[in-house]
Amino acid sequence: MDRVKVGVFLADSGKQLSKILDYNDLTNYVKNISGVVYVARGSEFWRGQGLQNIINAIKDEKINRVVVGGTLPKLSEVKIAQAVENVGFNPYLMEFIDLKDHCAMPHQETPSEATEKAKAMLLAAIERAKLLEPLEKLEFPVLKSVLVIGGGIAGMQTSVDLADLGFEVNLVEKAPFLGGLAARAGRFFPTDDCAICIQSPASDLKTITYTSRKCVYRSGFSEIPNLSILTSSKVVAIEGVPGKYKVTIEKKPRYVNEECIRCDLCTTVCPVEIPDEYNAKLKTRKAIYMNIPNVHPPIYVIDDSVCKFHDCAKCVEVCPTNAIALDQKTEHITLNVGSIVVATGFEEFDSSVIKEYHYDDYSDVITNLEFARILDGFGPTGGQIIRPSDHKLAKKIVMIQCVGSRDRRYNSYCSSICCMISLKHATLIKSTYPDIDVTICYIDLRTTGREHERYYERAREMGIKFVKGRPTEIYRDLETNKLIVDVEDALLQRFLELEADLVVLAPAMVPAKGTKELAEMLGIELEEDGFFKEYNAKLRPTETKMKGIYLCGGATFPKDAPTTSLHAHSAALKVMKLLTTGKIIKYQRTAVVNEEYCGDCEFCPVTCPYGAISLVPTTENHFVAQVSDLLCEGCGICVGTCPLNAIELRHSTTNQMLAQMKALLSINGTPKPLVLAICCSECGHTVVDSSGMAKMQYPANVRVMKVPCTGILQIHQFLEAFKAGAHGVMVVGCKSDGCHYEVGIKKAEKKVKLAKVLLKEYGIEPERLEMFNMVFIEGNKFAEAARMMTDKLEKLGPLQLMASSQVEEVT
Amino acid sequence: MTSYALFLGCTIPARQPNYELSARKTLGKLGIELVDLDNMTCCAPPPVQSINFETSLAIAAYNICLAEEADLNLVTLCSGCFESLAMTNSMLKDDEELKAKINKILSQAGKEFQGDKEVKHFLQVLMDDVGLERLKQNVSKPLNNLKIAAFYGCHALRPSELLKLDDPERPRILESLIEALGAESVEYRNKLKCCGGLLRGYSDDLALNLAREKLENTSKAGADCIATLCPFCFVALDIGQIQVRAKFNKSYDIPILHYSELLAFALGIDPKELALEIHKIKTDKILSKIF
Amino acid sequence: MEQVQEEKSTNMAFSKVITSRLGGKTITLCYQCGTCASSCPVAKITPRFNPREVIKLSLLGAEKEVLSGDSIWLCCSCYNCQERCPQKVEIADVIYALRNIAFKKGYSPNIYLEFASALLNNGRIVKISQFVENKRPTLGLPPLKPTGVEALRKILSATGFDKLRLKEESQ
Repeated sequence: MDRVKVGVFLADSGKQLSKILDYNDLTNYVKNISGVVYVARGSEFWRGQGLQNIINAIKDEKINRVVVGGTLPKLSEVKIAQAVENVGFNPYLMEFIDLKDHCAMPHQETPSEATEKAKAMLLAAIERAKLLEPLEKLEFPVLKSVLVIGGGIAGMQTSVDLADLGFEVNLVEKAPFLGGLAARAGRFFPTDDCAICIQSPASDLKTITYTSRKCVYRSGFSEIPNLSILTSSKVVAIEGVPGKYKVTIEKKPRYVNEECIRCDLCTTVCPVEIPDEYNAKLKTRKAIYMNIPNVHPPIYVIDDSVCKFHDCAKCVEVCPTNAIALDQKTEHITLNVGSIVVATGFEEFDSSVIKEYHYDDYSDVITNLEFARILDGFGPTGGQIIRPSDHKLAKKIVMIQCVGSRDRRYNSYCSSICCMISLKHATLIKSTYPDIDVTICYIDLRTTGREHERYYERAREMGIKFVKGRPTEIYRDLETNKLIVDVEDALLQRFLELEADLVVLAPAMVPAKGTKELAEMLGIELEEDGFFKEYNAKLRPTETKMKGIYLCGGATFPKDAPTTSLHAHSAALKVMKLLTTGKIIKYQRTAVVNEEYCGDCEFCPVTCPYGAISLVPTTENHFVAQVSDLLCEGCGICVGTCPLNAIELRHSTTNQMLAQMKALLSINGTPKPLVLAICCSECGHTVVDSSGMAKMQYPANVRVMKVPCTGILQIHQFLEAFKAGAHGVMVVGCKSDGCHYEVGIKKAEKKVKLAKVLLKEYGIEPERLEMFNMVFIEGNKFAEAARMMTDKLEKLGPLQLMASSQVEEVT
Repeated sequence: MTSYALFLGCTIPARQPNYELSARKTLGKLGIELVDLDNMTCCAPPPVQSINFETSLAIAAYNICLAEEADLNLVTLCSGCFESLAMTNSMLKDDEELKAKINKILSQAGKEFQGDKEVKHFLQVLMDDVGLERLKQNVSKPLNNLKIAAFYGCHALRPSELLKLDDPERPRILESLIEALGAESVEYRNKLKCCGGLLRGYSDDLALNLAREKLENTSKAGADCIATLCPFCFVALDIGQIQVRAKFNKSYDIPILHYSELLAFALGIDPKELALEIHKIKTDKILSKIF
Repeated sequence: MEQVQEEKSTNMAFSKVITSRLGGKTITLCYQCGTCASSCPVAKITPRFNPREVIKLSLLGAEKEVLSGDSIWLCCSCYNCQERCPQKVEIADVIYALRNIAFKKGYSPNIYLEFASALLNNGRIVKISQFVENKRPTLGLPPLKPTGVEALRKILSATGFDKLRLKEESQ
């Protein structure tokens, strides 16, 4: 191996930092450290002369490791890395420390102590740099194809976007027709136009005008050349890695092929008639059927659970184009795709569990979706508002909100769109039939979007009545066959018995059937409410923590059409970002297993938040863990989990961490006891930055060490810290529920708790080790914690072994 | 022979020997042994709970301890006792902290609640230990399609999460037990609504208002009599019926009978042995319909 | 209303008093939907009691109004409200908690003092008279087993129940 030659570059920010830190002292100190062959001092090193200095030193082969002590290391790191890569130097052979916000600024009242701390910081950086190894740049292939699971408006829209961009799109839908809920909903608020429309593909060159939207059946979306649509199909198996998934689709037979001309002759002769579930059983359909005329594909389908097949075959006899193929079989299709988009949407909660509303046994109690079928001109009643029980016109309608929503017995969340849906239905009723009496019973009305308040106002102008009260019961008057809704009007403080011909419930919106199974198949998580979990609700709502798998539409939470549309476009953009270059490039800053030590205990595969570790068989009928460089995010939680020290994280090895620790604690220079603050690279280290940026003051005995995630820490490392000279250890990480690597902070918390017990056994006061959870903007909290810790340690006195009986109980 | 410790409570031995007689005789005939334990007390019903919840839990737990010590499950006749004891049993079984708290109190009386026994209502013993089939087989005097309005009362069913007797919205146990006797269970408005029993003595006008509603609804549905499970419901609708007659000037003449009394008739037990004179609304017309 | 406002500014602690009592833990979950009110047989026939209003007043801190009034004593404990509440507020148990607090402060209908007395003296709230007890054999009933009055008194002493009553007597 080449001799290690470290170059140290000391930036003084236009001589501002040297007003506090003694740069001459620092320069001399650094020169005398073994391994350091080159020292430069300047204003800054991330651009101009400074940067050139580094480049030249590298090009002239004077140095093969770089240490920069300056300001804004997180910015200069990126800039310098880009520059050195260009001259063929591996960017992972560099170490950056912040002499300003981690040293000069927080300790400006004690400049000589600050200088001593700066020495320790530089020593730590140099010792670590000496142990750094170059990291390989890896390339992984990415197929330029996508699987979209779910053919509702979200899935369709994202498919159109991606197909337009030139990717190969496979849209898979489990029903025989596309459209999902939108196809049944009739109209969407707030525009009250048709629910089932999408933004037409850019490749639709036949229309010269730039229309804002198109009906699905005439949008030509199905004709985009690289879009393949599979209906009656569901995903049964998924294998592979991001960029190269192998998906198995089970495609059920339709029994009718593309020759179908929708003449409807088949339905006239089909002998099988069953209640039409699609139309809320308000009418019947045949075994061969089409839901509504304006869907895709425009081909009839046979329901094989009721069809008599060759015992009948009357439809085959009459079909003028021989489109019926009764012998079609289930197919299994394999797709190779680079990424997957989940667009499985949501459905209505089953209201029959709320027995007091009698949804199961009073046919005149229906849901919003069923009512949408009644209102729909294409629907079972041709738009006439009639009662299912006796087919008489409904003159009085009562709507009940929050059926199963905001209900801690079933779904405690608010389903967000139902108030608007009911208002939509109410206003649609009134605009055609002003004499129908409509009352809406609500707990709170949620009309938060654009145009929604005006919608509510219009509803009141149209004479729709509102009762603030959740009904306790619906019962049926046996004499009049009318329904009675028993409710308290809380605003009037009066009990009402509302008579109704029809009661329309607004049920909660719950995840679509099969969500749990699909999540398991894909290895992605669900939220507590059962919907797919967004990677980050604020910034990454269409992604998951699994690279290559994206979310779209109502599958993450009920949403209205405008939001679904936005979501679909967002998901398409994210997919494009992954697929566009045809490859994923990353440095190998990943974990690696020492197979000799691996004990096949299975802790790490289970703990890795990204599913990056799998167990592979070796020759001796024994398994070892193996890390996928593609999936590994470099958090190191596996390292912290392994009981045998069999796994290391490249660029954050235990040796590198130990060297840093020892160096940071080798020089004190203050009258106070040394404290080691181990900070995660996300919130932990940045909160230290923040305290310095705000010039918060804390003593210089506090030494900061960065780790990728606190989850990497093992208990023995706390003990090493004490051995190396720390009188106290602070572990600083993200908030418990905000770990950037999902579970790291929780693991660290557990370890600190356990370590405290162990410390007591060793005769060390457990209060010397503490856990802190902070976020960037809490810089003041860090300074306060550092001061408090120092004070506490001064009171406890220097570290010494005590008989364990003398130590207080750990709380 | 299945054995249960019998929890009588206060109201039944004090005022309703008819319930006790019919229950003892019918269960005896159906092969269920009832054991009377020493040192039982009040179950700590709502009036005690209203003064202090912890005390009522402790008292109820104490009584359950007696059954635990005798290695017997408990059966109650009164729904109020059922609610108090079964609710306590459930609450302490599910909450370790609460159990510890109550056991600290019980230790003063030398008892410790284990949570290894069940508290059952008389109805549950009939359903689980006798069963509808065996019951039907033992019916020697079917009730001739007598129209009976089943009235559960409140505390047999609710709070359902803790009592787990039957579906609180669509219960079926009592109806099927009534049908097993060869009678007809009639449906009526607001079947599960409270009779107002617990308001008697404090707010009689409200109590009578609710009693009247119950009588009105059962009468409209054509019921010959009302089957009750609880001594409070019984009093509210029996003595209460007289008071309703006086206040609202309307006579309903619907006899109120505990299910156990109807069961006794159907099993062929001589009505003269059942202390029917307790009933303020006379049961003669029911008896003549059956016998 | 003025009374409510005045107490509101000083009495957010009332909610804490209720939630720390057995049975009162869930009161803050209430979002005033009114299901309990329309489920309540008593509320339907008198404006003197409405469970939704009792909870609202309690959460607003109207301690004196809630505790000293007769409203909370009109609940018939039918548990219909608790059964139907979508927030799983234990409404009937909250009313019990309010009664417990009221009783301790000296507010309660007289009949409850009588119950307390009977419990302390006889181990039962409904006394079984000697006459009734003697009649049992003639009816064909086995003799009554002894009541555990001693054990009960120890329990009542352990919970401080006996002192609750005494406090009332001294008033």
